[in-house]
Amino acid sequence: MVRELAIVRGVALLGLRAMEVRVEATSSPGLPMLRLVGLPDAAVREAGDRVRTAITRRGLRWPGERIVVNLAPAELPKVGSAFDLPLAVAILAASGQVPLAAAAACWACGELGLDGSVRPVAGQLPLVAGARRLGAERLLLPAGAASEAALVDGLELLPVADLGEVVDLLTARNSPREIVPLARRRAAPAPDLAEVRGQPLARRAVELAAAGGHHLLLSGPPGCGKSMLAERLVGLLPDLDTTQALEVAALHSLAGLRSPDQPLELRPPRRAPHQIVSAAALIGGGSGVPRPGEVSLAHHGVLTLDELLEVPRVVLDALRQPLEQGEVVLTRSRARVTYPARVLLVAATNPCPCGHLGDPRRACRCRPDQVARYRARLSGPLLDRLDLQVALRPLDHDALVDAAPGESSAVVAARVAAARRRAAARWGSGALNRDARAQQLRESTEGAALARLAGAVHGTGGSARAFDRTLRVARTIADLADSEVVGTSHVEEAVAYRLPAARGAA
Amino acid sequence: MSDDGLARLTRACATVSAPGTDPELVAVVIGWAVRPRRSLDALRRHLAATPADQEPGVRLRRAVGAQLDQDDLRHARAPVASWAQRGCVLSVVGDPGYPRRLAEGWPDTDGPVLLATAGAPPADRPTVAVVGSRRASSYGRGVTSWLAEAAGHAGAHVVSGGAIGIDAAAHRAALATVGGTSVVLGCGHNVDYPRGHARAGGLFEDIRAQGGGVLSEQFPDVAPRAGVVRARNRIVAGLADVVVVVEGGDRSGALLTATAALERGRTVLAVPGDVRASGSVAPNRLLGEGAHPCTGPEDLLDAMASASPSPPSIPATTARLDARASSQQLDAGDAAAIVTVLPRAVHAVLAAAWPRAVPVDVLLERAGVGAGAVLAALTRAQIAGEISEGPEGVVLQRRPARAGGPPP
Repeated sequence: MVRELAIVRGVALLGLRAMEVRVEATSSPGLPMLRLVGLPDAAVREAGDRVRTAITRRGLRWPGERIVVNLAPAELPKVGSAFDLPLAVAILAASGQVPLAAAAACWACGELGLDGSVRPVAGQLPLVAGARRLGAERLLLPAGAASEAALVDGLELLPVADLGEVVDLLTARNSPREIVPLARRRAAPAPDLAEVRGQPLARRAVELAAAGGHHLLLSGPPGCGKSMLAERLVGLLPDLDTTQALEVAALHSLAGLRSPDQPLELRPPRRAPHQIVSAAALIGGGSGVPRPGEVSLAHHGVLTLDELLEVPRVVLDALRQPLEQGEVVLTRSRARVTYPARVLLVAATNPCPCGHLGDPRRACRCRPDQVARYRARLSGPLLDRLDLQVALRPLDHDALVDAAPGESSAVVAARVAAARRRAAARWGSGALNRDARAQQLRESTEGAALARLAGAVHGTGGSARAFDRTLRVARTIADLADSEVVGTSHVEEAVAYRLPAARGAA
Repeated sequence: MSDDGLARLTRACATVSAPGTDPELVAVVIGWAVRPRRSLDALRRHLAATPADQEPGVRLRRAVGAQLDQDDLRHARAPVASWAQRGCVLSVVGDPGYPRRLAEGWPDTDGPVLLATAGAPPADRPTVAVVGSRRASSYGRGVTSWLAEAAGHAGAHVVSGGAIGIDAAAHRAALATVGGTSVVLGCGHNVDYPRGHARAGGLFEDIRAQGGGVLSEQFPDVAPRAGVVRARNRIVAGLADVVVVVEGGDRSGALLTATAALERGRTVLAVPGDVRASGSVAPNRLLGEGAHPCTGPEDLLDAMASASPSPPSIPATTARLDARASSQQLDAGDAAAIVTVLPRAVHAVLAAAWPRAVPVDVLLERAGVGAGAVLAALTRAQIAGEISEGPEGVVLQRRPARAGGPPP
């Protein structure tokens, strides 16, 4: 007699892209053994031992027969321990301990402990969301991840804490347990912009960056407040909507930075990797299926790079594609993965190797050619993409003591939100001026302003890309001024953030 | 020595020799100096030790001619071809094409034996050297522009070393004036140094386009080594009637220029600087040692009038009167209709600080209008050439009218 095939479906992740994996099990007479076929990685192959121990320790029966489990499609790489649960369910179905039909109607993901407990894995949230996108209706998942999974609509969740519960649920001896929906929260507010004294130029640039999503370069001597401003920029950004928050949470979950019982964070993320970060850590990478890097972990938020010129050149070059396209494409021998990376880059640098060029209190000790060489490292394509370039100056003592506090973050954030609403009304929901198409931009710009910009960009040796990017900044300036048309003065201000002289040309 | 080889080299040299220069003499000098351990400077020192009974050309030929061999002459063709390609003309000391002031007292003074000139520097204008360090403050650059522009308008030719910082400010300010400007390179003509000035469309090209000269005593491929760059300073001094030191550190090359000028008995002026700034050490020390203080174009033009009592084409008195007149005109013009694209308050702050730079933040705070409007105005002013921006902030390109702010 040929016994029927037991089928349970699982999910494999290639980056954030979910792929259906059919876990097929048969049990047939023969020497007791388990064979796993279908490109499993080491962790999946070990699953055999884990599943066997878990099933027997739970008081369930391990079939004393020859078991073959196939993970299909075979060419898809399967990574990690999330296949433990579908594997166990398939074996339980093949050995007649749960109904085949009930198993076949289910999707499952989760890791098993040796005692039979079911635990969440890294990337649990994108797994659940992926299963839903693939058409899953019922999902067996670790009880610990149920609250988080409830954020995904349209899915019947079967949370289980151990294998005994799996059998009870699938044989309809029990009904699913209650799920407490996950809380949403806002992280402690970023420090307030009011604490920044003086620095009107930098404050203006930070506001523009927040309103239009333009990348920002702060240059100045040590201690002039570069990091202070970068920290406060996050506080000017509006809350994420649920879709965005889920995207961010999925990426953090994939990187193992988020446990499933954490509330859903609605504030935009801020990532500040150290300047000796490797390209793999910044952009994403790793063996097998690449993991998201800092630039994706800062998706919808702010990526701060301090001491930009100390960052290795290859790493800086790797940043160009994500900054331009809003996503990272990582190609490895076994997989090609795309991670979203719509970040606002805030880079900080010293003006010269010693850091004191232009500082009235301390003389710069660098030779002019050293300064030129230092700046040359920043030149070219990356600098082109930093739309707002601002030189900060150290505050003198009077300003520290006497200056009135500046506008608070709340006041500026309200203006930022209004400007973003105008941009979204023009380009479509969620779109920023940073992403505006060049042709559409030109249509809402005065002819005289375009001519002025063309003259200024030509005069400073700028590229066509610089032209369009400057126009986007001008669009944001107009939005902040509640002007439908981009005028000459808006363009002139935008040019002021890019002049090569501001970078200290001799 | 084969006459045939010399004849061929002489024909090559004829294409690059300055009018009035004897190509055979050029060939002999290059042929001698092209080999290792026989520099042009060694030739000058050698001649200085011989009796001064005849004119330089005859002495050069006598000292060198007999020692040349066929190899020398063959090697000599490469630099000649390079010079020709760069559009240089060569002149030997004592020839009509060689700057008269530089040749004074030769070989006891240290003018170079051979000079390669690209462009066409004016032969007999009163000449002022404005020199200083590469690491210049906005104050130094501002004063330099002020002096060089006034001197240029008064008909004086401005020479300097073509470096970044003070030198570049002097060249740029004098570029479009009557007097014009010339640069003495600290390397050969084939070496692009400083790169930003030597590249296509750079300062040196502008200087040649405006009728100025680019001079070098070196073979075309000589790199800007420290010794070569320092040696250049004596030529800057030798070309000038008056040397002005604007800014420099305690070991600045500007001090060498001043020393070389004093050895030739030329007038040295120094611009008093901030006593605590490291860039003021050189001029302030020169002042202590007896240099004339230079507190504005008037001092410079006075010094020029007394330094060259009868310059051939423009009499000193005329130059001085020209200067007075044009500087009065400038003042009158300033007061009557100053053209500024800047908001009044911003212009007033910049005018009060001139020639020092003002940080942009300070301008934004004092302007009384929004940051955006001020930044837009600064862009406009920068495109119009009214201001320039550097690490220390924004500075007016030209000296503002004495009256202060612009009219309403």
